[in-house]
Amino acid sequence: MQQLLNGIFIGSIYALFAVGFALVFGILDRLNLAHPAVFAASAFIGIELVTVGGLPFWAALPAVAVVGALLGLIVERVAFRPLKGRPDAHFAGLISSIAVAGMLIALLQWRYGAETRRFPADAFPATRFDVLGAQVTLLQVVIVAVCLALVVGLTWLVARSRLGRGMRAVAENPTAARVLGVNVDRVTATTFAISAALGAVAGALFAMNVNSAQLTMGSAIELKGLAIIVVGGMGSLPGALVGGLLLGVAEVFAVQYLGSAWRDLIAFALLFGILLLRPQGLFGGRRARQV
Amino acid sequence: MLTESTVTFIALGAIFAFSFYAVLYAGQLSLGQAGFASVAAYTSVLLAPDPAVVGDLPALLVALVIGTTAGAAAAIVLGLPTMHLRGVFLAIATLGFAEAVRIFALNAEWTGGAQGMSVPKIVTPAIAWIVLAVVAYWFWRSGPTRYGRALEAIREDELAAGAMGIDVGRHRLGAFGTAGAVAGLYGVLWAYTVRLVSPADFGFTAAIDGLVTAMVGGTTVFVGPVVGSAFLTVIPEVQRALGVEAGWIRPFVAGLLLLVVILFLPGGLAGWVPRRIRVPDISGDGDLDADHPELRTREHAPRGDVVVRLAGLSKDYGGVHAVRGVHLEIRSGELLGLIGPNGAGKTTLVNMVSGLVAPSSGEATVLGVTAGRAPVHRVAAAGVSRTFQHSKLFGRLSALENVLVGGHLVIRPTLVRRLLWLPSARRDERAALAHAARCLRRVGMLDAATTRANALSYGDQRRLEIARALAADPSLIVLDEPAAGMNQVEAGELARLIRSLADDGLAVLLIEHNVGLVRQICDRVVVLDFGEVIASGAPTDVAADPRVVEAYLGTEA
Repeated sequence: MQQLLNGIFIGSIYALFAVGFALVFGILDRLNLAHPAVFAASAFIGIELVTVGGLPFWAALPAVAVVGALLGLIVERVAFRPLKGRPDAHFAGLISSIAVAGMLIALLQWRYGAETRRFPADAFPATRFDVLGAQVTLLQVVIVAVCLALVVGLTWLVARSRLGRGMRAVAENPTAARVLGVNVDRVTATTFAISAALGAVAGALFAMNVNSAQLTMGSAIELKGLAIIVVGGMGSLPGALVGGLLLGVAEVFAVQYLGSAWRDLIAFALLFGILLLRPQGLFGGRRARQV
Repeated sequence: MLTESTVTFIALGAIFAFSFYAVLYAGQLSLGQAGFASVAAYTSVLLAPDPAVVGDLPALLVALVIGTTAGAAAAIVLGLPTMHLRGVFLAIATLGFAEAVRIFALNAEWTGGAQGMSVPKIVTPAIAWIVLAVVAYWFWRSGPTRYGRALEAIREDELAAGAMGIDVGRHRLGAFGTAGAVAGLYGVLWAYTVRLVSPADFGFTAAIDGLVTAMVGGTTVFVGPVVGSAFLTVIPEVQRALGVEAGWIRPFVAGLLLLVVILFLPGGLAGWVPRRIRVPDISGDGDLDADHPELRTREHAPRGDVVVRLAGLSKDYGGVHAVRGVHLEIRSGELLGLIGPNGAGKTTLVNMVSGLVAPSSGEATVLGVTAGRAPVHRVAAAGVSRTFQHSKLFGRLSALENVLVGGHLVIRPTLVRRLLWLPSARRDERAALAHAARCLRRVGMLDAATTRANALSYGDQRRLEIARALAADPSLIVLDEPAAGMNQVEAGELARLIRSLADDGLAVLLIEHNVGLVRQICDRVVVLDFGEVIASGAPTDVAADPRVVEAYLGTEA
């Protein structure tokens, strides 16, 4: 039981991270490899806000989301918008976002140095609960609640709101959306901002969960995020949620039964199986090829 | 500044970048190269003889051969099940493979785990550059061959490439295998340079570095990877020489430069290298039908033979019956017009004839093959060539190169002979160019031979598509709305051209909305409405048929 819960805690963070990935891919058909850098940056910023700014940890989360959204806007502006209309935009976007990610990590190194950062010891309440014989801290409950609330909120936003309609229109056909009066540039920028805000919250939560932040934390979760969105179905938001939870639980059990060395193999075994058997992912729809 | 190790690492980086270039050239993004390199490095270190016994150079040579083979084998084993994946999916699947290899190497006993296996240092700058020269030679010589052009065609438009008779799957797998072999070379050289095979050197970061080097250098010109590697290896050296040592400035500047290159130099650093295209002088040549022994022209069915037989052909999309029970025959030398209102199923019908769409029921026998069951390139090889309703040219290639790709089926392969520098390869390539030029002349576009396809006017693009289709020396040519968007004068010229094709003995299937044009030139007209043939016969009879008038204009109330 304890293992299952631990898996769900870490899995919900994976899910939140992957949802941000999936949002940009599903709507704009671009893979934003600066997403993990935003994830790492927000962990450091969150720690600074709590340590230096004296904010309680729950108040740091919205602040981090705002910072993340700003970073998302910058990434879109610098790495993706200039590529519009290029025939190689797909590959070039990968590279330009890698470049921006490199610059972002370099800036982090400048501001925070290369060492691991931690939250102050008394940042989190010590409240513990007993759930079916398993120990759960208040922090972990908050993590799961925040992740689920954000993913559900985002799904609602995309499905129901005016902005969501614009997003889906852009996903279907950007040219037609523009003709129909959708401000494609603004929808694109907003999508990046929301995606990055989610990645930022995921980064701060991740840092709280393990109480540390490192420069390399982004690349560690990057591959997992990719695996999750493939397993869930590229661009599918519920798919990313289920995929994230699945991966978190699978990892925890893999550590218990196979040993920690093989934990990271789980994601890729899952990834490979899904790609071969069901390339559109668990929740992805098949897109027809056009002649 | 250029120390011995810098010189070596430029060569190594370029070789690794070539393994990305090999697939990017064909429009595929694989991130598995680090995995291929690591498989190759471990295998060769394990199997190669001890340098202390046989001497350094022989040991390295054996290791390189083993590594190349192991890398290519790994790539093909990975490539076979993942060939149906496209774009980012392929990238992620291959990345997953590379990670799996790395984790395996980290945890297995015989690989030495995270410590790795230590090997002697054998590679000198000279050796690294010689291997690089060999790799670059391969890509230099293979570029302007039938094989190289086929890869470029797949990059530009996979569907159109298949319709030109290119076996897309085999070419993609070929590119994959090449990438694996080159990555294998890199893996072995790397090990014998840094004296260590360790999983950490073949991780995600390594894959990204290789991709970045290839993209920065440029993925359409063979010198790209070398330029990219020189650029990226020298930046940190220059910074060090300038005294920029603060830990964060170096990666920041590197990222900034990368961004600038990607945003402002779309073809990479090597993008300024002009593509040399010489248009051959064909003023003394005969017409297309003249005998050309260097080309593999086909035997055409005699005039009047049935080349297409459709028996009860139907296609349903969900509940929509796009085409219903069509029976139709087309004969050599016949110009058959296919007309009908929008959405009548015309394009679906010709897609089934050319093998792009499999019928739901019924059978299409086209030049002896069953279209829809045989792969597209097999149908094309039987002698079917087509144009597309929405122009599907290879946009970044010149008009002449587009037609050269169209001639894939008649041009002889010259890759091996070009690598060996045989004079016959030059002769055959020249014949291929002359053939393409003649096709361009036939549609009146020889003047635009060196223009990039996506820079041509709409009408010129339609004509170029016809030239490209003609280059395959087809027995049946399918033209899907070739006159769309043309003015009166252009359409008139086009009508004469199409008529002359049928007069030369080709079977021509023409879809057209311009009923006047169809009446003027077609031998026979078939009218499709709601997927069914509602009239067929001589143009004047069909035009007078009340059901046709009704389909086009509606009934009188």
